[in-house]
Amino acid sequence: MTLEIRLHGRGGQGGVTCAKILAAIYARLGKSVQTFGDYAGERSGAPVRAYTRVADQPITNRNKVYRPDHLLVLDPTLLSAEVVSGLAPGGLLLINTPDPPAAFAEHFAAFRVATIDATAIARRHGIGTRSVVIVNTTIAGAYCKIVGLPYDALEFAYRDLHLHGNLPAAKEAYDAVLAAEFPAALPARAAGTAHADAPASLTHGTPVMPLTEHTHSLPTQLKTGSWRTQLPRYVEHLAPCNASCPAGNDVVTFVQTLMNEGEAAAADVLGRTQPLASVCGRVCPAPCMVGCSRSNYDGAVNIRALERWIGDRAVPVQRKERPPAKQRRIAVVGSGPAGLSAAYELARGGHAVTIYDGEKELGGVLRTGIPTYRLPRDVLDREIAGILKLGVQTRMGEFLPRDRILALAGEYDAVILAAGFGRPTKLEVPGVALAGVEDGTRFLHRVNLEGGEAVRGHVVVLGGGNTAMDCARSALRSGASRVTVAYRRTRTEMPAIIEEIEESEHEGVVFQFQRAPVAIRGNGRVAALVTADVEMGPPDASGRRRPVVTDRTSVMTCDHVLLALGQSADMGLLPEGATIEDGRVHVGGEPTNLFASGDFATGEGTVAHAIGDGRRAAARSLSSLGEDVAVFARPKKTQAVPLSSIRMEYFEPRLAATERHEPVATRITTFAETNHGIPDPREAERCFSCGHCTFCDTCLVYCPEGIVDRVISKTGNGYEIDLDYCKGCGICVSECPRGAMEMFPQ
Amino acid sequence: MSQQLISANHAAAEAALLAARANRRGRGFCSGVYPITPQTECIERLCSVPIEKGDVVRVESEHSAMGVCIGGSLSGARTFTASSSNGLAYMAENVFAAGFFRLPIVMMAVNRTLGPPWNIWVDHGDTLMLRDSGWIQLYCEDNQEVFDTTLLAYRLAEDARVYLPVMVCQDAFVLSHTMMMTDIPAQEQVDRFLPVLDLSFRVSDKPRVVGGLDFPHQTEMHREQHIEAMKQVPAVYAEIQDEFEQAFGRRPPDAVVPYRMDDAEIAIVSMGTTASTVRTAVDGARARGIKAGGLRVRLFRPLPEDSIATALRACPRVAVIDRNLSPGLGGILWGEIRGLARPNAIVQNYLVGLGGGDIRPEHVASIIQDVTERKRAGEPVFMEAGE
Repeated sequence: MTLEIRLHGRGGQGGVTCAKILAAIYARLGKSVQTFGDYAGERSGAPVRAYTRVADQPITNRNKVYRPDHLLVLDPTLLSAEVVSGLAPGGLLLINTPDPPAAFAEHFAAFRVATIDATAIARRHGIGTRSVVIVNTTIAGAYCKIVGLPYDALEFAYRDLHLHGNLPAAKEAYDAVLAAEFPAALPARAAGTAHADAPASLTHGTPVMPLTEHTHSLPTQLKTGSWRTQLPRYVEHLAPCNASCPAGNDVVTFVQTLMNEGEAAAADVLGRTQPLASVCGRVCPAPCMVGCSRSNYDGAVNIRALERWIGDRAVPVQRKERPPAKQRRIAVVGSGPAGLSAAYELARGGHAVTIYDGEKELGGVLRTGIPTYRLPRDVLDREIAGILKLGVQTRMGEFLPRDRILALAGEYDAVILAAGFGRPTKLEVPGVALAGVEDGTRFLHRVNLEGGEAVRGHVVVLGGGNTAMDCARSALRSGASRVTVAYRRTRTEMPAIIEEIEESEHEGVVFQFQRAPVAIRGNGRVAALVTADVEMGPPDASGRRRPVVTDRTSVMTCDHVLLALGQSADMGLLPEGATIEDGRVHVGGEPTNLFASGDFATGEGTVAHAIGDGRRAAARSLSSLGEDVAVFARPKKTQAVPLSSIRMEYFEPRLAATERHEPVATRITTFAETNHGIPDPREAERCFSCGHCTFCDTCLVYCPEGIVDRVISKTGNGYEIDLDYCKGCGICVSECPRGAMEMFPQ
Repeated sequence: MSQQLISANHAAAEAALLAARANRRGRGFCSGVYPITPQTECIERLCSVPIEKGDVVRVESEHSAMGVCIGGSLSGARTFTASSSNGLAYMAENVFAAGFFRLPIVMMAVNRTLGPPWNIWVDHGDTLMLRDSGWIQLYCEDNQEVFDTTLLAYRLAEDARVYLPVMVCQDAFVLSHTMMMTDIPAQEQVDRFLPVLDLSFRVSDKPRVVGGLDFPHQTEMHREQHIEAMKQVPAVYAEIQDEFEQAFGRRPPDAVVPYRMDDAEIAIVSMGTTASTVRTAVDGARARGIKAGGLRVRLFRPLPEDSIATALRACPRVAVIDRNLSPGLGGILWGEIRGLARPNAIVQNYLVGLGGGDIRPEHVASIIQDVTERKRAGEPVFMEAGE
């Protein structure tokens, strides 16, 4: 017998290997085999053919296969009269398609048609590259079944060719292939009997234009776009920094804008989401930098320092372009970052906002809690003044009790409660009422607003968060001779910003880990703190290891104990029986016009979270009043450009810019700002611009057809791909350094 | 018009500069250059003077030099480059590209021995290595001819019936560094002779990668078209000779240059400067009553078969002098001439001046002696290597 098999596929689908697999299987069965492909079209997406010849005798025919007994089509878009030419009536036509054989009854009734969705199977089994699914090993399984070859021969061939990893997909195709013989089909001819003659001329008969007559693309006007099964597109993807920002800042855009257009334009980008760039640029724990792709290369971009650079140098254009259809009157209770953010968002949209706060000055925890060496008050005042310039009214100096809040609800269209944390976590140990034991937030309030010498001697701070760090460093600057921080877990569990911990250490703060307070001793006034050893148990609900207090204690003499053990919201501000659902206060299951925001509502505890939630509360309140506004929802980090899409090798290693710090010796004697920021904004050049095209021309340079063109227009620069010639090879997508392109099915 | 005492390297550069400026109202001039002995003076001259609407790009290799010329030419600029020997070998890939794209690029090639071992002196093996690259090849005999040929090469390359690159070849040192009085025309004269290049197939709309895939039948057709273009060359060349003569008052030599061939019974065939020596030797032989003649092949591609066959039709003895070697065969010119001599003629190959040795009249005299005494042709004869 002589059996001739022809495969039609596209470059990249593995047609030649498929033909080789079939040959290997027949060889296993003791046949003479010959297999080869059509070469030169081995560019991705090009129509390619491959051939397998099987015989009982040695094979001497060196021609291509013009009269196949079996025809495999790896891409159904190739199907045409030309593709099936030479296939005798009754011959096997195996097609990779999700359609059943009956779908081909009309055009290919003369053949024995079999179908298998090899692409879906191969994709399920993860066979292929980022841009192309490789179907060869899958469809070979279907072939074996349809021509009755034994499965063990297939299995042997796969092992022999080191393809055993693809066997499960082949097996799935072996089991799933469908075949049909249409009524019109003639009986299968005996293998090796005469076919119609092969064409006399193998050329296409079309005239060939001289090279000297082309004016567009030399030499051939071969529209390689017809080879395409997939299409590259420029798609903006979520950058990891953006996905990580609780405030919802468009981080990648403000960094890129800073680099390309300068501070003013970058400030406008920031102003779309938040009014406190200078504040955040100093006190934010910068989850964006944790998310930054560059942290996996040579260190995260110092985004926080760049935000500060922008905030300190430019004021955003704040007001939205169009005034609202109806101006709403909204009260905001609390002027911390959540309240300020809500007020900014509302006033920016043209609504009438009044802020109520019990302090004399706006700022909430930014003023009462954060020490000035981290956040100078002129910086805070400047940004607050920017918010007030939008027409925000203020009523200061009265902490509103529940009944006054309910009254506001009657006066205003909506009330946003952003009162922050009101209740420090109590420590219940003997001696907690002794003089010299003070709540940390109270201590900071005193230091920040009332001034004066506050402490002396040895100060012990209990806790491991930012309040603890602020207490420790403020105590150093307020007369303490030494400061110890006692924390019940280990260093890695400390919630404080890492830089704060490090700076505290530099300033001489001593840390004691795995210590829990069990008693405070003294005669009317603190004289010593008794702590117990803590062992770390299994993780709790927060994922941190649970501290287990032992009975091994030690005594530390001290003069002050500052309690920084966490805080919670004062829910007494809400109506009786109220619940908070999705940021809105409900009473008896019914929604009210009260909205809760920031730490008061979420307890997430950072300025960035508060800013994001303030904006969210503003939108929720407007939305409840019938305004058509989008409520900012934080994207999932998993939606961000994965690290695997970033081509690190395109970027020169360059260490992050470090901020300039006041020397320890001079800084601990004063509350002046310790961090002087970065010397210039060149740090922005380190940004990979993940998922965001920077017009770097890599796609243009790497396109093997040279058919990517720059497009420069008023609405923005970009690229245009000439679809007449794009073969869908995917090189532009895989070479894009920043994951700003994607392949789509044709 | 001015007479200048310059080397043939400079003569080529002056011709290129005049041609470059002649395109100033067109798409200008763009040249990629890389130095190699003995061509360096030529491109130094090119780089040393400003060219209106022109740019000479100093690249990092011969390959890139031709790459610049290809890009410049594709965009419609007039181009020029020069190279030699191993530089040509390194350039070869792009030489073929220029040929197969049929771009009207002019290159001056100084013929130098390919190494290693290194040898900087004349040998035709380097440009003959590029025989099949699809270029027109002209081999020059004197300084003026280098200038004239470089200039007229543009007319030939840019003729729409032809559209082929032209290689103007000259012997290392014997020509390249030898200074002789050379007639350099004024720019206005050149402007009249050489019109602005309007390359009809320049890539004009968007930058593109050029040179996509040709399928077998397309390649076959493109090669056939290439041959057709080559076939136009002798007639177009003759037209250019006429116009050149009108413009500058002297006629460039024919594609094949016979000397006392009318009644010759012994023909001595050669290329390049060897032909001058052959003339001296022919005169000597004639004085001794020997009916010798010289035949210089100036146009090597396309090979003017008819002209050569006509010149040799009465010669029973043909001596072919090759300053090159195809190891395993013999001289390359000999290989081509063998089929053009009359039937039963003795066509004997003499390898002289390989690696730059002087070819003296005495060599040619002994060649005439040898070929006269032969009963039949034998192995190629190395003249200096002895028996």
